[in-house]
Amino acid sequence: RLPSGRRRHRESAAEGCPPADGGSMRCQQVSVLYFARSAELAGLRCETLSVPRQITSLQLWEEIVRLHPRLAVIRDQVVFAVRQEYVLLGDQLLVLQPGDEVAIIPPISGG
Amino acid sequence: MDESKDVPKDFIKLKSEKLSVDEVSELVISPYCGAVSLFIGTTRNNFEGKKVIHLEYEAYTSMAETEIKKICRDVRQKWPSVKHIAVHHRLGVVPITEASVIIAVSSPHRTESLEAVMYCINTLKASVPIWKKEIYEDEYSWKENKECFWANSEK
Repeated sequence: RLPSGRRRHRESAAEGCPPADGGSMRCQQVSVLYFARSAELAGLRCETLSVPRQITSLQLWEEIVRLHPRLAVIRDQVVFAVRQEYVLLGDQLLVLQPGDEVAIIPPISGG
Repeated sequence: MDESKDVPKDFIKLKSEKLSVDEVSELVISPYCGAVSLFIGTTRNNFEGKKVIHLEYEAYTSMAETEIKKICRDVRQKWPSVKHIAVHHRLGVVPITEASVIIAVSSPHRTESLEAVMYCINTLKASVPIWKKEIYEDEYSWKENKECFWANSEK
């Protein structure tokens, strides 16, 4: 059921992509943006990741935590913003296009 | 009178310079409006007994502007007589007593602009990707608005 699961042991999302053998397995380069506490924990503000074109929001989070394990502590407090729309961490299937922006959004405190 | 010459406008700005109440209120003034309502959010010097040295704000700027535009659109749907809306939010370091946010709304009569200003600040706190860090003497803390539906994770 996991699009990239059976290939995970071979390569990581950041290093390379599974061979292009169908729509959901093809990788996209997306920009990941980190803000506030998530930027402090990850140690950076932005990076490019290769992720499968179709991936659930939870799977995407797990890929990002694999790269930046210190982010695990805020798992219950963050949402994503994918193409500037909020997405909860869960089963929602993301269909990502090359160059899409995915932002880690800790609890907000504007105003 | 030709009111079509004063088309409703939204003035949205995120900036690191000091905010100006004069500037923001002048943006929304209209000869067709008898009311300008204002909200100013300022920096307090204390939180739970700790002395606050200053605040620091950061934003996902492009999305914050988009979310504020959505708020303006909602305001115009709920209060169609609202004329102009201005939302200025400061980023970076904000010293104590200085303004972090100024919201101004104009309308022909006062009820709509008063209600719209309250709606703007309440919705901004719930939906706009801006973060505040409170700097104390020995430590700091990333704040979380109670309006934020994904904070305080009792899921």
